[in-house]
Amino acid sequence: MSYDGFLPFISAQLQYLLNHYPHTIQIEQARSGTRYFPGSLDRFTLLIPYCQDHMKWDVIYNAEFPLAAPDVIFGAEDEDFHPFHVVCGEDGDSRLVKNSLTDWNNKDPTRLLALVIELRDKYRSYQEKRVGEVDDDRLKFEISTIVSREGIEMHMSSGFEKPEEVKFAVPLMDMNINKMVSACPWRHPQKIYLQVIYPVDGMCMAEYLPHLEELLQRLVIEAVTLIDVRRQFIEALAPLLGRPLEADPVFCRKASFLVCSGPFTFMLHVFLSTNFPKQQPSLMLQSTQHFNSLGMPVKSPLITEYPWSPRWETSQMADRISDFLVDESLNFKRHCNESHLQY
Amino acid sequence: MADLPFQKITISGPTLSALMHRIATSLGDVDGLLFGHVTRLTPSTLTDDNTPQNPDSDLVATITSFFCPNIPLSFYDSLGRVDSVTLHRLVSSTTHQSNSSSSSSNFLGWFSARRKSPIRPSMREFCVSQSLSRLKTAAKGDKDLNPCVFLLFTTPVHGEMLYHTHEYRAYQFQVNSRCFEPKTIAIDNIGPDFRGNYGCFSPNSPFPELKCASAMNDEVGEDLNRMERVSKDQKELDMVAQGFCVGDLGKLMGSETVNSTMSLEDLYEKMLGKLDNLARQVEKSNAKVLEMENHNRKLRYKIARPVPE
Repeated sequence: MSYDGFLPFISAQLQYLLNHYPHTIQIEQARSGTRYFPGSLDRFTLLIPYCQDHMKWDVIYNAEFPLAAPDVIFGAEDEDFHPFHVVCGEDGDSRLVKNSLTDWNNKDPTRLLALVIELRDKYRSYQEKRVGEVDDDRLKFEISTIVSREGIEMHMSSGFEKPEEVKFAVPLMDMNINKMVSACPWRHPQKIYLQVIYPVDGMCMAEYLPHLEELLQRLVIEAVTLIDVRRQFIEALAPLLGRPLEADPVFCRKASFLVCSGPFTFMLHVFLSTNFPKQQPSLMLQSTQHFNSLGMPVKSPLITEYPWSPRWETSQMADRISDFLVDESLNFKRHCNESHLQY
Repeated sequence: MADLPFQKITISGPTLSALMHRIATSLGDVDGLLFGHVTRLTPSTLTDDNTPQNPDSDLVATITSFFCPNIPLSFYDSLGRVDSVTLHRLVSSTTHQSNSSSSSSNFLGWFSARRKSPIRPSMREFCVSQSLSRLKTAAKGDKDLNPCVFLLFTTPVHGEMLYHTHEYRAYQFQVNSRCFEPKTIAIDNIGPDFRGNYGCFSPNSPFPELKCASAMNDEVGEDLNRMERVSKDQKELDMVAQGFCVGDLGKLMGSETVNSTMSLEDLYEKMLGKLDNLARQVEKSNAKVLEMENHNRKLRYKIARPVPE
């Protein structure tokens, strides 16, 4: 995302927001409200994740009056959402209110982030209150069993054309997945949510969630263990084929080796599925010496059929692939020469 | 306090076009105050239908003028809290300027104009309207009426849709339910259909009543008193005509009426000259205002943009 065109102070606040917000925020429809400088962008739409969906909020700065705090326009469905409505008495004077818009300072890059976080928190309470007011025994019971979960989000949609429905995003498992995967690339904590849309029939959540979480927990642990199995396999290939040229260090789904068969040198790409070792790796050979008419290196088709057993030891798997390559490299060399001769 | 819902909000064509011109020529987003009056419609048709009609819905708010300070947050803060002192200053200065018949220029509400944004009241606009609705100093004539009118002007988010350059909506802020109630806008134009709205309009400009003109011929009377009166009258005459001497008014009556045609023509010419001069002054001051606005803008940009290193 480029911040070109925004006024410097808006750009700084946006950049800070995108880099520090705990979830992924998107910016859409950057535009300008000025008469003479349509190039200086000062308003945009933020796509803020909420309850497994997105809210579209328009943030309106004023390029002509940069010292003024921005204004926000909420979605068309949320016309009753008034986060900062005046709660004081008759005199209309409420100097004690304190929130992220009071004492606005356009030079402070953290302000927009603070505003978005505060508004989203207020939006969550607003939706919780709306859902709480729905007169439905089943729903009330369900809420009572899950409301204590930290990070739960609720949403009640009530458009003119849509039927009324209540949505939940229930965070599952109190597990730090980021810590389980070493050198993970995620900036934000990985969380798994269950989306429930009411009205539903059948099992209640209190009954369903423990089973679901147990199952998920098993799946996550298994998936994390499988990363290590894949890593060991790639490491086992190294003594036979040499150190990989390139390998996916986090999830170990891909590795490339430089292999020689006499004077013929080619690259071997190994692709590992999440079902490895049940599913054997797919192989692809790529010549370093032969090119097609477009100047692209000649590649073999994806090879998925060769001797394999998931019950073999890791070292045996590597050995068998190495053995298979002895013959396959000759086939590939012939294939390369043939396609090369055609041009 | 009970909300009295309006049946509709009307605005005269010239006021709306002046407002739109102001908005279209503004540098950025602007807002301002709306003035006008509230009238009760008298049912024009009598029917035998006995269905009870909503007794509250016969109120019509008519917007007759506006005031645009040309800076945002002029009478409220970033949270939308109205600064009652500033508001009072703006409202009273505007209502004093207009005709003394204050009934035609009550403070009705406010407007907000922002480019390229959705046509829905924003977070701050709601707060401002809510804050205004708590003010007791609303329209003087109608005890129960708050400055509850809100006009919203926007331009489409996608600028390519040039065949639809602007949108506007009118709302009435409901105190009890704390929400904006959309209202229809009716535009009053000049024509037989709108005669009722212009009934009290008189196209005459009053000429100042000058005492000395009649007393001029009385040679008696103290000189000092007379001179004082003459200079006072001359000042009043200068308001409508440029360079016409009070003494010459005498030529329009009495024994000297023989040459009155020429004198009268002279008076008209000088009155026109006055208008010309006023127009020139307006033009000059407009240029000055523009110059100052540009200067202010440069200062604001200086604040917003960090100094290049």
